[in-house]
Amino acid sequence: MPALRQRLFEVKRRLLGRDLAGRAVTVLSDDVYLTSYPRSGNTWTRFLLANLAYPDTPATFANIEDLIPSIHLFPNRWLSTRPRPRFLKSHEYFDPRYPKVIYVVRDPRDVAVSMYHYCIKREYLPETCPIDQFVPRFITGEFFNDFATWGEHVATWLAARESSPTFLLLRYENILEDTVRELSRVAAFLHIPDDPKRLQEAVERSSASQMRSLEKKQSSDWILTRNTRPDKPFVRAAKSGEWNQALAPESVMAIENAWPTLMQKLGYAFCSRLETAMGRL
Amino acid sequence: MLEHLKHLKEIAFGQVPAGRRMTVYPDDLFITSYPRSGNTWTRFLLGNLIYEDEPVTFANVETRIPSIYMFPDRKLRRLPRMFKSHDCFDPRYRNVIYIVRDPRDVTVSAYHYSIKVRILPDSCAIQDFVPLFMGGNFGSGLLADPRWGCWYDNVASWLAMRHNRRFLLLRYEDMLQDPRRELVKVAEFLKMDPTPERLTRAIELSSAEHMRNLEKTQAKDWQLTKDTRSDKNFVRKAKAGDWQSELPPQSVREIESTWRVLMQTLGYELSTAPPVRQEAASIARP
Repeated sequence: MPALRQRLFEVKRRLLGRDLAGRAVTVLSDDVYLTSYPRSGNTWTRFLLANLAYPDTPATFANIEDLIPSIHLFPNRWLSTRPRPRFLKSHEYFDPRYPKVIYVVRDPRDVAVSMYHYCIKREYLPETCPIDQFVPRFITGEFFNDFATWGEHVATWLAARESSPTFLLLRYENILEDTVRELSRVAAFLHIPDDPKRLQEAVERSSASQMRSLEKKQSSDWILTRNTRPDKPFVRAAKSGEWNQALAPESVMAIENAWPTLMQKLGYAFCSRLETAMGRL
Repeated sequence: MLEHLKHLKEIAFGQVPAGRRMTVYPDDLFITSYPRSGNTWTRFLLGNLIYEDEPVTFANVETRIPSIYMFPDRKLRRLPRMFKSHDCFDPRYRNVIYIVRDPRDVTVSAYHYSIKVRILPDSCAIQDFVPLFMGGNFGSGLLADPRWGCWYDNVASWLAMRHNRRFLLLRYEDMLQDPRRELVKVAEFLKMDPTPERLTRAIELSSAEHMRNLEKTQAKDWQLTKDTRSDKNFVRKAKAGDWQSELPPQSVREIESTWRVLMQTLGYELSTAPPVRQEAASIARP
């Protein structure tokens, strides 16, 4: 009777308030969802937003889930005790209920590289697995299939919300390029005062080097890094274009062929088409 | 608290309608659409095409092409794996027949349906209903559901994914104009090769007139019409362009200005001049 056991398990979890919210999160009208596909800069943006919104409490891995909790790590019962308006982290593909969304998108070729290392850190993959064997599995969304594929995630959010005033699109690459500028867009979107000093401070408190040193001290305090391989960091390279060195041409081509329109729309220039064309000459 | 316990009891006994929580298998077929867009008609057409034993009726449609909102997962497992759904994009649906209808007609149909199911009084003018409907939150559980989104959310999220799975897009208006042609598309999608007689039979057994007659005798046998006002029909006019006589100009403008991009993509001609266009913000900064 696996079905019955499943149902009783569900009842128990609910009685104890342990059912993780996730897709079933109870949405409140003034919620703000910091949304992205995994490995697209969500945690960095979370630090930036937390440091901007709560300047008196510098964000750390030990308190980030209090400041901007993840809907995937907590039950609705606990989330409902958070002060409003709530800022919440989400990796869900399009959910029509989210009233306000900050959406972070990143070049899928870099997402693939980052996710490869993350899967090794979490021991979903053996270290011996070459990255180019991982890429086809990334394209089909095998490792995080609750969140759909990269293409499904990005395309559904953009299709439904792109022109909406309640949707703010951030490119990870743009945040890297000019963090203050992009954070001031976040501030404007949320009607948070964006005085330059406050922005600057939030950016410094959320820098990759600052986050790396926090991770060193606090990785056992954070649910996402606890019990993962300590020799592989969560905050990794924090740069763009790493795929150029990390991925074989076939892998690059596979990703570009999977989502050509979407990548072009987002300004992620192709390289494989050009190379193929040149190869034929 | 009592509600909470009731819900726990429903979980324990496996009585919660499946909806989004249903177990999906890769071969499952989903007849998906926003409410009031021709889903029931399509279910009849498809059911009458597939089952040659006895015609689809309101009394048996839920066991032939069940609604995912009507049965718990446990029950759905024992029913044919062809479902009606109104959900927004769900990546687990691998085989989708999506029906889309002119949102101006959807609005008119939703207005009459809301009166039928008593979530709207007769006295409510249609122009007061339009903004409620467009928000996508009005009449939760009966006309809308937060998970279905508004018309735009639903259509846009599915259209964006049409090249990503087995997907057949049907326009309600095309089905009205030439049901045979559209049903052939459905048959091809299902890798069926029906005889002309079989197609004719399915179309006749699913005609608006036939369905109206069935509704007269079976309204009490179907969960969606049971306990609703019997003076208003579920199968209403079954035509296109009703909005031209039923919607006041200001409501038409409201719908067209909000949903124009998608309407144009789908070939629903706008009747009002587009508003002053804001320069589309470029996503990728130079």
